[in-house]
Amino acid sequence: MMKKKQCIAMLLAGGQGSRLGILTANMAKPAIPYGGKYRIIDFPLSNCANSGIDVVGVLTQYQPLELNAYIGSGSPWDLDLAHGGVYVLPPYVKGKTGEWYSGTANAIYQNLAFIEQFNTDYVLILSGDHIYKMDYNAMLQYHIKKGADGTIAVREVPWEETSRFGIMNTAPDGAITEFEEKPKKARSNKASMGVYIFTWEKLRSYLLADAADKTSSNDFGKNIIPKMLADREKIFAYSFEGYWKDVGTIESLWEANMDLLQMPMPIDLYDSTWRIYGRNPGMAPHYVAEGAVVHNCLITEGCEVYGKVDRSVLFAGVILKEGASVVDSVVMPGAVIERGAQVKRAIVAEHAVIGAGAVVGEDSGAIAVVGEKVVLPPGAFVKAGEQRDR
Amino acid sequence: MKNVMGVIYTGEKDSFLRELTLQRAVAATPVAGRYRVIDFLVSSMVNSGIKNVGVIMQKNYHSLMDHLGSGKEWDLHGKNDGLYILPPFLTRENVGVYNGSLDALHSNMGYLRRSRQEYVLLSNSLILFNADFRDMFEAHTRSGAEVTMLYTNRREMQRPEYGVYFDVDENGLIVDMEIDPTKPRYPSASMDVIFMRKDLLLDLVDRGAAHGYHDLTRNVIQRMVRDAGMRVAGYEYKEPCFRLDSIRSYFELNMEIVSPQVRHEIFREDRPVYTKVRDELSARYMEHAKISHSIVADGCIIDGTVEHSVLFRGVRIGKGAVVKNSILMQDSVVEEGVKLENCILDKQAVIKKGGTLVGPRGYPIVISKNMMI
Repeated sequence: MMKKKQCIAMLLAGGQGSRLGILTANMAKPAIPYGGKYRIIDFPLSNCANSGIDVVGVLTQYQPLELNAYIGSGSPWDLDLAHGGVYVLPPYVKGKTGEWYSGTANAIYQNLAFIEQFNTDYVLILSGDHIYKMDYNAMLQYHIKKGADGTIAVREVPWEETSRFGIMNTAPDGAITEFEEKPKKARSNKASMGVYIFTWEKLRSYLLADAADKTSSNDFGKNIIPKMLADREKIFAYSFEGYWKDVGTIESLWEANMDLLQMPMPIDLYDSTWRIYGRNPGMAPHYVAEGAVVHNCLITEGCEVYGKVDRSVLFAGVILKEGASVVDSVVMPGAVIERGAQVKRAIVAEHAVIGAGAVVGEDSGAIAVVGEKVVLPPGAFVKAGEQRDR
Repeated sequence: MKNVMGVIYTGEKDSFLRELTLQRAVAATPVAGRYRVIDFLVSSMVNSGIKNVGVIMQKNYHSLMDHLGSGKEWDLHGKNDGLYILPPFLTRENVGVYNGSLDALHSNMGYLRRSRQEYVLLSNSLILFNADFRDMFEAHTRSGAEVTMLYTNRREMQRPEYGVYFDVDENGLIVDMEIDPTKPRYPSASMDVIFMRKDLLLDLVDRGAAHGYHDLTRNVIQRMVRDAGMRVAGYEYKEPCFRLDSIRSYFELNMEIVSPQVRHEIFREDRPVYTKVRDELSARYMEHAKISHSIVADGCIIDGTVEHSVLFRGVRIGKGAVVKNSILMQDSVVEEGVKLENCILDKQAVIKKGGTLVGPRGYPIVISKNMMI
């Protein structure tokens, strides 16, 4: 038996993220680059590290290679520990059976043995889909103080958007009385953030029962939580008020990047008491040439800028040649924008090459996307909303 | 190439860099936007396949130790080998003050003996370059020489009354060596990198110390060359290298790295330069930013004009400020409306609103760490 851990985290990182179109063709959603230096998974991992939660199981399934390589030993998040640390947990064969994770609850169920090694009291369930800074330890203390069996982090969303979320109806003391998945007529605007803490003994028994139920879709939101509520287990809502952004679609990923260009930033990434860590590519500081024009943008190491950048985020190693311009756009690591090319309202994925004089995106309309490693020929045109994958 | 260990001597005279080295060794001096001088040496060794690197420290070594840490950033934190920090220590025969590299090596004989490698690559820390030493190792084996020393024929490396210069014959052997001549007679300047078998080094250090010598090059290798008992080969390094022997040369080195050609030679994809990571957001350009021909590290926030300058991590440039030909180290602040030209701001220096600071060309003004003006 390993040293006892009060709380361990299980991070669900196996989702395909199909609403992100060609961006998730070759990588899982949590591996998507965000904010110039990060990948989405850096947020939950850094939150864990900063909250003092030092065992994180990362459940992978869909296109895990990029994610596995990125997480590595966990050292960027100080999660390369002798007792604990980060563990990548793909589905594996058990005895004569072996199966994919059929749902979020099933993914945890299949890793019961992993969790039990730590003799843990509580389990924190996270997803790798959101940009936010959150102290999970404060939530854990709330869970303990309430004597809860489960605690669900919630945030208030605009009333007109309630039909997109799992909505919690609560009693005055914070106890959840009802859970409605995407209600047409909501009675509360407290939406689940997909962040749960469970008292392990309790969750364990529900996972076992759920696994035995052939009709269940083995999902936390659809099965486990409604079942616990029906059994009158003590489930509390924990209110979170900071920045929280779902980056599940092309538009929301683009918006979340643009949010960082506001001053002050809606999510303070300069906060030295709550740093967001990531794997550093180890490149030289960026270079801005004579004649370049840069305004309202984020530029990081390895970039070489000879052209114009306005209201945009450039990731590591982006080369922007003379006469090229990038406006209202996100350009991911290693992409090259050749001479005279214009990129506007677009996402250019990793190592894509935009040929000389090519035009990507339009002044208005949906965001255009150029996929990973796509080489766009000179003079090509990618219209608003188009996703070019070759 | 696991058969080579690296030893970096950081105890040289550091008064050349004046204010910049009041509180740090030359090896710990910030350079090129996000690095310390020693990053280039350690990375060169690691990129050449060396897995055991000892760093001999003399004084002011707090910042160096802090920077190197466990050696993790250079992948030098393995179970066997890795990074060894070797601060001075007192013993009966050693008072902790090294009068030269030989003294330092003699004090660290234990580390040298314990290490399992067959060869040693020794380096000082007053010259900056990004090398792959593997060609030199091969040349050493081919030549059959006992010792191989790296040199450069770049004219910019010549100095009056300073440096070690070689007369290299047509077979690549060093036939004469001059140290600190008034005017260098030979075009080949030593890069203070020496390669030999470890057992030979142990023997030379032991015998040198027994004769009361202090410096390996001056007292031992120079004699070897002159007395022709042993063969000392030269190996020419043809890529850019820079001496850190004055504020002026420090300034010029940074300015040269701004230009794309030199930068691409110093920062090559196949030889990454590793350093301690700070986990900061990208550099941020604001509405009034105007920047040209400069290198900028992460964490900077720029709302003024910057020309031909080097900005380290976390520098702030206020609205309307104009910065030209300057080096701004980590977390230094240039407030609104300031005019700065030919200056070096050390870490956390602050130039308050409206100030003007213009240094003469080639002789930059240095503002010390934490100063507020």
